[in-house]
This record gives sequence, C-alpha cells and structure tokens, in this order.
Amino acid sequence: MKIILSDGSRKEMKLDNSCIEEVLKSLGINPVEVIVAKNGKVVSEDETAGSGDELKIVRVVHGG
Amino acid sequence: MLNDVEIKRYSRQIRLFGEAGQEKLKRTRVFIAGAGGLGSIISIYMAAAGFGRIRIVDCDSVELSNLNRQILHESDDVGRDKALSAYETLTGINPEVEVEALVETISKDNIDNLLQGSDLIMDAMDNFPTRYLLNRACLHRKIPLFHGAISGCQGQATTIIPGKTACLRCIFPRSPPAAIFPALGSTCGVIGSIQVTEAVKYVQGSGELLANRLLLWDGRNACMDEVACERNLGCMDCREMDVNK
Repeated sequence: MKIILSDGSRKEMKLDNSCIEEVLKSLGINPVEVIVAKNGKVVSEDETAGSGDELKIVRVVHGG
Repeated sequence: MLNDVEIKRYSRQIRLFGEAGQEKLKRTRVFIAGAGGLGSIISIYMAAAGFGRIRIVDCDSVELSNLNRQILHESDDVGRDKALSAYETLTGINPEVEVEALVETISKDNIDNLLQGSDLIMDAMDNFPTRYLLNRACLHRKIPLFHGAISGCQGQATTIIPGKTACLRCIFPRSPPAAIFPALGSTCGVIGSIQVTEAVKYVQGSGELLANRLLLWDGRNACMDEVACERNLGCMDCREMDVNK
C-alpha cells in the first residue's frame, strides 16, 4: 500500500488487509494526532487497508 | 437598502455580486469565536466586506507574543482585553458595521446566549473542546460553521452545513493533544481568508463550498490539497441531532 506521510513524503508498505490503526502504530504515529484518508476519503482508523490502497496521513492542527 | 456611502464603499464588491448581494451581507449576523490569529483575519475582512452585524468573543487580554499574527491588536493594546481592542479596530475599519465585542469564555453554559440571533459561526478558536461546543451549537441551531485551524505553516479548513455535510466531529472524532502551537501570521491569513470566502459564498448562494471537503494548506511546500469527508453515522454529535429532529 502507498502511504503519504503528513510531511508530504511517500512510503510503500507490503501489508494486506491491515487495520489502519495498526499501520499508524507501526509507523510510530500516535493515532490521536492524525486523521487518515483512504483513497482520498477520510475514514475511521478501525477500517482496514489493502495492497492497492493509498493512505494519506493528515496531522490535525488545532491552533487559531 | 444600502446608503450612498455604502454603495461607494462596496463598489468593487457590487461589481462582483450586485447591490442585492451586498444587501445580503448587510443582513447577515456573524458570530466570531476568538479574536486571535484567525479571528483577526476573519473579523477584519468581514467588517471590511460589510457583514451587517459582527459579534466577536474572546476572554483573553493582548500579550506581546500575540502581535506577530493577531493584527487586530497593536503594541499599545498589550494588557487590554482583546475584545475591546477588536471593537476599536473593526469600527475604525468600517463604521457602517454594527460590532459587538464580548469578554467571555465560551462554555456550554453561555453558548446558547452568545449565539442568539446569529446566522453563521466562524471558528477562530485555538482548541478542539471549544470547537466541539461550536459544532454541537451549529447542529442544534441549524446554522453553518466555518472551520479553520493552523499550526506553523500548516492549516486546514472546511464548511459544516447541518444536515448536509459531515460535522466537525465526523471528521475529527477526537481532540488532538493540547499544546502550545507555533504560528506564522501569514498562515492565519491564508486560512482565515478561505473561511471568509466560504461565508461570503454561502450568503450569496454561489460557488462551490468546502462541503464534505477538508482543505489542507502546506505553506512549507506551497501546496494546497484536499480530502473528502462524509457523515459518520455513529458520530455522537450528528446522531443526536437526527434523534432530536
């Protein structure tokens, strides 16, 4: 699966039907600090992603 | 009706959406939550554009470290209430606009009163717990919420239309950890300007809103991106609204 990290860098991971939360943890990302778009759409971290999917990790900003 | 001074003042906007469109702005009552970095950009552009009544709320006083981005306030305002400083700046920019500036902390106890009579909510807060209060109030009152947030050179914006789009909690189910955030004034400029543009388009009923779209600004790479959102049927805020319909 293709991963786009919040700094814009890209990664390829060989994972099949993996829970997105586990993918985040394997990348050392705290799920509380991000939202994830799977193939362009924001999804819950409970969802799974497979080899053909693209995950975009968005760091949530909170300042004003 | 617009008076002669208003017709002259807004002549460049009248070219954009006509006198009828300008009158729509004049009739619109805006609630701005926060008079900080985003609140500065939002309130200044909304006052200049001629939104008829602006209620802006902030509980803090101006600090020296605010002045790199909070352009509502000047060096001489350090130590004064932000709301009072905002009142002076906004009425100075446009005396045709009715400005109400309140020194209040937005809470679940006063949010209903604060929003009384408002047609739309501008999110200029610096924390998610208060944003969730705004979200629930927007759903309850069925008025739009124009969300924006920044950190450093990054920002995000989306437009919440109750019953039609994902709500704020559908997109951000959990509050990110509280932290002192870095802030560049121009990032507030980008995101606050987008929020105001959204509000103008909403009032005019024209253009494509950021509905079910989260816009992402990355100033370091000069990149604008977006991701799609949809309502989460299990969302604790939306679901409740459906029950109460």
